[in-house]
Amino acid sequence: MAFCIAVIGKDNAPMYLTTSDMEQELDLQYHVHAALDVVEEKCLIGKGAPESKELYLGLLYSTENHKIYGFVTNSRVKFIVVIDSSNVALRENEVRAIFRNLHILYTDAVCNPFYIPGEPLASKKFDRAVQKLMNGNA
Amino acid sequence: MRAAVGLMLSHGGAGLEPAMSRPDYEQSALHHGCLLVLLRGVGPSRARILQRAFEKVRRVSHIRVNDSSGNPRSIWIRFVHDHPVEHNDWGDFQTHRRLLGLITIGKFDNQTELNELCRQHESLKVRYGSTLYESRAIFFGPDEPPLKTIGEAQESAPAPVARRLQDDFTTPSNFKSQAFFYREQDSCADLESRISDFASALFWVLESRRLERSREKADKVSLLLAPFEKRDFVGLDMESRNNRKRCVGRVMKNLADLSLQAGLVEEALSLYHNANETLRSVGDSLWVGATEEGLCAASAILLYPQMREIETLHRNSSLQEAGTSPLKSTPEKWRASDATKKISSNEATANNVDSGAAAARLTSNSSSCSSVSSLVTTATNSSASDTPTTSSSSTSTLSAAPIPGHHRNGELPGNILKAEEITSYYRKAIINYSKYRHAATVETEAALKASRICIEQNRPLDVAMFLQSIMYINLSMTEAERVKRFEIITELYQQIGYQRKAAFFQRLAALKHVQQGSQAPDWNQSYRLMLGSFTGYLLCLDPLEVLENAAGWPSLQIDLVQSLITAARRLGHSALATRHMTFLLQTQWDNMSLTEQSEMAVQLKNLSAQCEGSPVPLVLENGTVIPPANLTDLPYCLDLQVKDLPAHLRPQRIKVAKADSGPFLFTPIHFNSMDRRDKKKDKNKIAFLWVQNDLSEVTVRLRNPLPFELPVTDMRLLTNGVVFESLPQSIVLQPHVPTYVSLHGTPIETGQLDLQGYSTHTLGVKSNCRLKHMRGRNFPPNYLVDVIPALPRIAVKSSLPQTATFSNMNSADIVVTSASLTLYNGESSSCTITITNESETLPLEHLEVNINSNVEQELQKKIFRIDEEALKAKLPVPPQGSIDFELHIYAEADFVCPLPPASVHSNAATGDYGATSLPHHSTMSASGHASLPSRVSSPQHRRNEPQNSSFRSTFSGGQHSLAALSLQPGGAAGPSSLSSQCSQHIEAQVRMKYSGGEALTAGYCRQCAVSFNLELLPSAQITSWDVLPAEIASQFYLVLDISNLTAQEMSLNYTDTKNILIEAKESCRVPIPVDRCSLEQVVAARAAEVAENLEKELCFRTQLLSFNDALSKLCSTHIAEKVKIHWLLTGTDIKGIASLRGIVLSQSMVDLTAVSPLQWAISFQDTPVQPHSEIVCTVGQRSLLSIQLTNQSLQPLRNLVLSIKFYQDYLNGMENYNLETRVAISGPNRIAIPLLEKQEQKQHTCSVIFFTPGRFKASVECCSNPPKEQPASVLTRSCPAGSLEENASLFTSSYDEQQAHVWKFIPPIEVTVVEQ
Repeated sequence: MAFCIAVIGKDNAPMYLTTSDMEQELDLQYHVHAALDVVEEKCLIGKGAPESKELYLGLLYSTENHKIYGFVTNSRVKFIVVIDSSNVALRENEVRAIFRNLHILYTDAVCNPFYIPGEPLASKKFDRAVQKLMNGNA
Repeated sequence: MRAAVGLMLSHGGAGLEPAMSRPDYEQSALHHGCLLVLLRGVGPSRARILQRAFEKVRRVSHIRVNDSSGNPRSIWIRFVHDHPVEHNDWGDFQTHRRLLGLITIGKFDNQTELNELCRQHESLKVRYGSTLYESRAIFFGPDEPPLKTIGEAQESAPAPVARRLQDDFTTPSNFKSQAFFYREQDSCADLESRISDFASALFWVLESRRLERSREKADKVSLLLAPFEKRDFVGLDMESRNNRKRCVGRVMKNLADLSLQAGLVEEALSLYHNANETLRSVGDSLWVGATEEGLCAASAILLYPQMREIETLHRNSSLQEAGTSPLKSTPEKWRASDATKKISSNEATANNVDSGAAAARLTSNSSSCSSVSSLVTTATNSSASDTPTTSSSSTSTLSAAPIPGHHRNGELPGNILKAEEITSYYRKAIINYSKYRHAATVETEAALKASRICIEQNRPLDVAMFLQSIMYINLSMTEAERVKRFEIITELYQQIGYQRKAAFFQRLAALKHVQQGSQAPDWNQSYRLMLGSFTGYLLCLDPLEVLENAAGWPSLQIDLVQSLITAARRLGHSALATRHMTFLLQTQWDNMSLTEQSEMAVQLKNLSAQCEGSPVPLVLENGTVIPPANLTDLPYCLDLQVKDLPAHLRPQRIKVAKADSGPFLFTPIHFNSMDRRDKKKDKNKIAFLWVQNDLSEVTVRLRNPLPFELPVTDMRLLTNGVVFESLPQSIVLQPHVPTYVSLHGTPIETGQLDLQGYSTHTLGVKSNCRLKHMRGRNFPPNYLVDVIPALPRIAVKSSLPQTATFSNMNSADIVVTSASLTLYNGESSSCTITITNESETLPLEHLEVNINSNVEQELQKKIFRIDEEALKAKLPVPPQGSIDFELHIYAEADFVCPLPPASVHSNAATGDYGATSLPHHSTMSASGHASLPSRVSSPQHRRNEPQNSSFRSTFSGGQHSLAALSLQPGGAAGPSSLSSQCSQHIEAQVRMKYSGGEALTAGYCRQCAVSFNLELLPSAQITSWDVLPAEIASQFYLVLDISNLTAQEMSLNYTDTKNILIEAKESCRVPIPVDRCSLEQVVAARAAEVAENLEKELCFRTQLLSFNDALSKLCSTHIAEKVKIHWLLTGTDIKGIASLRGIVLSQSMVDLTAVSPLQWAISFQDTPVQPHSEIVCTVGQRSLLSIQLTNQSLQPLRNLVLSIKFYQDYLNGMENYNLETRVAISGPNRIAIPLLEKQEQKQHTCSVIFFTPGRFKASVECCSNPPKEQPASVLTRSCPAGSLEENASLFTSSYDEQQAHVWKFIPPIEVTVVEQ
């Protein structure tokens, strides 16, 4: 379903990135990295009222092959989901659902007392869950 | 020249396709209102000469003209250096695409060249002929030849210079344009006004066209077409209502364009609105889009006039901004503020053209006219990267530039588009354009223009949206164009601070340059762009900064740097490739897996094989400096230790620094040592010193993190401060094994040496590994070592053989050589120590010798002796010279077995002396005093009972009696610590402190030592001794049992004349006549004792009975002085002296040794008794014995008992006192004398009758008994030390009363009784 899911820390350091096509991982990293500008811009706009802030940032940008969606948590951790442009069946609501689930997974992962905030997410459980989410059977 | 033209033509020839193939990426909305002029350099390019002219021409970008009705018009010129001809075809669609003017600038030296320039000008005219209104040619002729005639002519008539140029050279007949001639060095003062004229000429033509257009009848107008539309309208009914409307609309739009260019913005606005409505009604989407864009352009011209000034500058300033803050800072600061600032400063007059601003404009423009000169381009790049000025400052300088504001914000026309409307209009326009495949270029340009407006409006998200939309436009273009598009996008993203996006596209552009299948991969451009995208990925060229920040996406950074390395390698710039590879290893080491690490290391090795890396900055052609990268952590330094010099070379202060004077053994308060506290603060300050010209060492522990052997060569210390000569070191490091490496070097100067790290050469890269760059290891940034002036070095030799082992004394590390010697006790020897000054230049000026040993100071002084004066006299020692000095060694030992005072007392109590008393003591010592030395060791005793092993053991116990020593008087304690029975080892160090030269003045020296191993063998041993009365009263006999403990026969010389031979391990008894201790000495000793006692009393000592017996001490020293026993091992020349020092005398012995205080005058039968005189009397006859006592001493004697005893001496050691049947005494034989005053005499007379004949002896003695009551000293103890005299007398008395003395008349009276 999704092509690539990335979790990026509040200082824009990559915390987690997975993709269904490992061949393209580096390329996708470049795309995800480039998307951060828009994420930051959108965060900046939503600065005024944090409580009413919409976590879902919507479509950040799209390329010939990919559509890139963003989501930012209240702790400024960013989720980026890359979706294949050819996949027209995917509605925006479904993307939102992916983000919601991802947020829950992330929260679970950082609740681990042994996890140091800001460190890359190495939890296998998280990885398995995200892989499942990415393949659309979460 | 041909080549230059060819290049131009090839540029121009790119557009043979029907549609506009090349988007004009530089275009902004404001260009809709500009007159397009081609400014072209012709002829052989001489950029530097023409540059000034270009600059001048460009400065005239704006003129003001009053139109026919007197209204002022503001006309803007846009100079381009290149214009595809087919763009002119779009001139109907958007008039600003039409090239209206032509200016060529050329340089010629002769007529032929001038002809060529004219030809080129004409050919350009022809090429753009369809749209060209006017053209000018600017020719720079050769400088006037330095001919006198010409010079004179110039002086006489300075004005007609240009005319004469024109005279000299004539333009060809077919050259119809207006030409300006200038000398090469001419200031071209009138050039600007001429260009202004040219601009106004263009305006008037344009104005006439506009008027013409505006006067056209609505029903007569023809259809204006975009180039690709021609086919579409073939065969259509042009007279239909729809088409009429279309025609009118398009003409109206065209008129609006012209009005905009002619400075009538407001008219243009309303015309655009009308045209928009008209065309929308007929569904002419393309032209609707055009009107919408026109509306936006007209509004932008009114709203954002400042964009004219900053349009190109933004690019530069944002680049700088990107350089300073990699993370995006909010872009508002340069957007919102500018508009207001500009508008408020609009009133500035046109004359105040800031030359700086103009220059800036020129340089920024020149980036787009790269055909003029590539030099200019590079200059722009470098200036952009070199001077980090913020955008606000650059725009504020520009605010002085003239901006003709016809319209203030307050008086803007009502139909103007509002700021937010512009965006939506652009969006609409783009949608309209996107309906036409051939309008892709227009669409792209519109998007770019829109994004530029949005940048001005501070709406980055919209910018991103427009830029993103460009990517969708399907434009068939060459790869070069595509790259160009990426670059322009990059630039715009950078302007809004989207560094990551910018970097993304920059990288794409870089990859496009060299993508597979590309005919001519341009690695140079690729490399440049890659480098440019560094900031977006939070990389920077300085590895230290990257390590400091430790931000960004490691995988992307690694990939980027790797691509960069590839580009550099393909460029053939292997030094760069090596540098970047080193950079990669240094900065991304922690982010790489183990296999990656070793792969990269191997790659680096391969790269550096082509070009070795060294830690110097590399400068690229465009001025970019690539800072050095160092393999700081390859190998990984675990620790670094600065080593002190070896102990014997270590410098030290000649005078030891003053110790803390506090009253405490330890205190945290430092009383007077401020400097020490300062030193502690300096963590990196090394506590010890290095010496100039002395090899110094630093130990580094390295670990090789790579899985293969890592050879590290040419390791040296990196230092600052004083000159330091570092010695290279090479090592091969095994994987993962920490290895110690010693780095050596010699400081050449004195002062402070700053150790910063070390340099390595590994994997083909030279690196400077500085401590401050080593992270996570808590190293100080440097180590500071003080280097003191050079000190001389000496070599020390001794004449004695060396020992196999060095001593284990403290500070054994300074020992440089050793010497061993074996001596018999009492033997003397000497040793020559040779000191050679090894230094090349320095004299040895200071030498201090002292001796340290494991024996006490007193004894040591006796053993070792150096003539220091003689030694001092030999200084200084010149370089390479040597001196020697003698060390005298005397085998000092204790030759006597000491007796503790306790035994002395008990001995005295028996009232006996001589060898006869020995058995008593043997029992005593057997009763538990194992440590008690005793006379058990008497050789007589041994002779008597040789088999008695129990006595043997006691004997040996007696020999090692050390415990008794503590009871000895202080003076005798030292020597007695030597055990004389076994061989004894003495370890000593002769320490030499030496210095010379400057270091001496600085107060430094070195210390080295010779270790002495002295073995003392026992020689003669006095096992027991006694004191016997001699034949004369002034002497006594010292009887000694001397045993020879050597393995050889010993000849003993005990008096001046007497010799005795003793076999090995044998002993013999010798009597030695010694003079008695004189009365004066005794008196002095008494006085000394009194003083001593008094002192002790003051110290509240209470142990009176342990008071030392000064008299016994005196006697002991007296004997030691008088008696010297010389021994010689027969058959050898080994000889020595045994001294009797430390001999312990019992009380009775003391009494014998010292002169008696009592003087005896005895007469027998009225004849005075002489020593050894024969007294004869007969049996039964009464003999009168008269005894007269005189107190010779200084104090009175108390409690004296005079006793007379007769006995028979059997001369076999037995004495018979039971003579009741043989002799009788009339009158008491015991007389008590309570007090005998000084010089007082006592007389006692008695009669003796012998019953049997025989030889009798009479012992006459006087005993002083201790008093029964408490000694008076107890009382004095509690007395304050008031009157010394009183105390003294009390003490004296107490002393005498305590001690039991026996004074005998010597020799005993011998009476021979004969028969009648």
